[in-house]
Amino acid sequence: MGSDTVEYIEPEKRPLPDRKISPKALPVWRIGAAIEFLISAIVPLAYWWLSNQIAFLPGWLLYVVIAAYISYGVFNIALFPKWQWKRWRYRIYENEVELLFGILVVRRVIIPMIRVQHVDTEQGPLLRHYGMASVKITTAATVHEIPALEESKADEVRDHIARLAREADPDE
Amino acid sequence: MSEFKRQHPVSIFVSFFSNVKQLLITGAVLLFFGSSQQRGPWYYLFILIFLLVFSSISGFLYWLTFRYKLEDRELHVKHGLIFRKKRYIHQDRVQSIDLNAKLIQRMFNLVEVKIETAGGGEEPEFRIIALNRSEAETIRDELLYGGDEGEESAESDSPAAVPEGTEGEEETVPAEKKPSERKKKPLDYEWKLTGKRLFAAALTSSGIGLAATFVAAVFSQFQQFIPEHWYETAFGIIVQSSVTFILIFVLLVLLVAWLIRIVSTVLKYGNFSIEQRGNEIVISRGLLERRQLTLNRDRITAIRIVQNVLRQPFGFSAVYVESAGGGTKEEDLSTILIPLCRESEIQGHLKALVPDFAFERKLTGLPGKSMRRYMIRLAVPAAIAAAAVTYFVDYGALSFIGLAAAAGLGYWQYKDAGIGNNEQFLWIRTRKFARSTVIVPRRRIQTVEVTSHPLQRLHGLTTLEVSILTSITGKTFSLQHLGENQALACYQWFSYEDGRR
Repeated sequence: MGSDTVEYIEPEKRPLPDRKISPKALPVWRIGAAIEFLISAIVPLAYWWLSNQIAFLPGWLLYVVIAAYISYGVFNIALFPKWQWKRWRYRIYENEVELLFGILVVRRVIIPMIRVQHVDTEQGPLLRHYGMASVKITTAATVHEIPALEESKADEVRDHIARLAREADPDE
Repeated sequence: MSEFKRQHPVSIFVSFFSNVKQLLITGAVLLFFGSSQQRGPWYYLFILIFLLVFSSISGFLYWLTFRYKLEDRELHVKHGLIFRKKRYIHQDRVQSIDLNAKLIQRMFNLVEVKIETAGGGEEPEFRIIALNRSEAETIRDELLYGGDEGEESAESDSPAAVPEGTEGEEETVPAEKKPSERKKKPLDYEWKLTGKRLFAAALTSSGIGLAATFVAAVFSQFQQFIPEHWYETAFGIIVQSSVTFILIFVLLVLLVAWLIRIVSTVLKYGNFSIEQRGNEIVISRGLLERRQLTLNRDRITAIRIVQNVLRQPFGFSAVYVESAGGGTKEEDLSTILIPLCRESEIQGHLKALVPDFAFERKLTGLPGKSMRRYMIRLAVPAAIAAAAVTYFVDYGALSFIGLAAAAGLGYWQYKDAGIGNNEQFLWIRTRKFARSTVIVPRRRIQTVEVTSHPLQRLHGLTTLEVSILTSITGKTFSLQHLGENQALACYQWFSYEDGRR
């Protein structure tokens, strides 16, 4: 403790993390969003069916629902993955991992190596088809994910973090 | 000591009642919120009898199959009817032992022994639910401080005599037995909640909201059972309009809820005392049910100082601890350290109990532009609600008072929010309704996150989120709408990656 004031590195001087995730994330996310889009078609269909059954549901609302459904699809398939991918950055330092992501809510996280409990890679069928994997970093209190890296890169990142976490001095 | 023993037979009742309680609660929930199908009384009677029989059989079997044996700093336990389990708990693995006494145990002058073990896998906690007090103390002292069997019989009445005894014996047989690592340490600090304080704590205790919801739910069920004409004659004269009726109803609910809170607080925190020995802080509390909780100072991850609205005018606060490990499931995941004390006394308590946390805390407030965000955030939903109420209800325009109140609360939240740090600690002060200051050591922080949503980015504001580990899961404390530079300074303060360290 001692002195009350702490010398900071000027906040502006801290560089943003600069590693991008794989560009192949885009098709994966898009396909995922498209599948979601098809499944959620059940909402307008259900409304259409219901409005035929129940008299007081107005027919015009069906068009509103369809419009909402389509714009949801456009955003989810065409725009969000692109924005998401553009924003995503990570950086692995010697003593910590830093992540930066998010479209509307932008998040920036520090995960110190000494707090990392374990790291693993995960692969759904889509990611596997494109030869990619995601890296999951777990601390005692939180879980974080780097969503799409080339498979070899993901393994490398995982082993790298695992080694640094092992070596990190628990007493600081 | 080499014979396996059973618990006190009263344990049959204890487990019987806890079974029944659990089943009744489930049943009550189903009755309350489930569909109200009409079924004959036989149906319920049958279920009730089934529950009673089932509970008593399982209680009896539990007593019959549960056997324990204390042997040279190790507790052997066998239990289970079909799946037999054996468990050895050795002194080295024991984190803490607490003696609790619920109502039934107290009636028979028994205690429940709760043993917490280190790195315990699925079952970090182990309970023996009914033992004689002296027997329980024998187990506790053997598992915590024991190094020799000779002392057990002598010690049960005079625990103070243990440390010398232990040390003396060890010197004579140093080669054979590893000296017990912990010894009963002398008392470093003791504090008791006075009756006056207890009463003050009860009067001003928060959580009325929760009790009120409960009371309102009960009342609304109650209405169905009162004959309608009775109800009308009682209320019809006084109640002119529905508004007065609602007001009376609300006041009544609040009053009853308040009374419930007073009684429950007195029961919960009656005879509250803290004893501190070395690194261990033992909290005992409860008027009818005695509970003990052992905290290890090294495992404290955060301290919270909470001042609710009722206590603020009197300058009273409560102090809570977050601790990694230390079975506090019953206590909403965080443990109360000091139920009530004056603002000026906090520093003294911290100095005695957790000296690391006792230092002067300078706060930096939030930038002026965040005031608007705090006020708007509360005022907008209030305005929408008020508009809706005005549209649908007579005199609904009165609800715009609520809008002013919401904006006022927002301003208050802004005024009280603040952040500060020194080299090793970070502290954040926020207000929802109650004002709470949380103090976190840097080495206990798991991650720090800076987030911003579009409206915040418009004004260069951010939210800071600090995650720590508590007894069961992680907990995140966040401070909203602080300046970007403030947040990044804190971010950089947490960073392990620079020349500063």
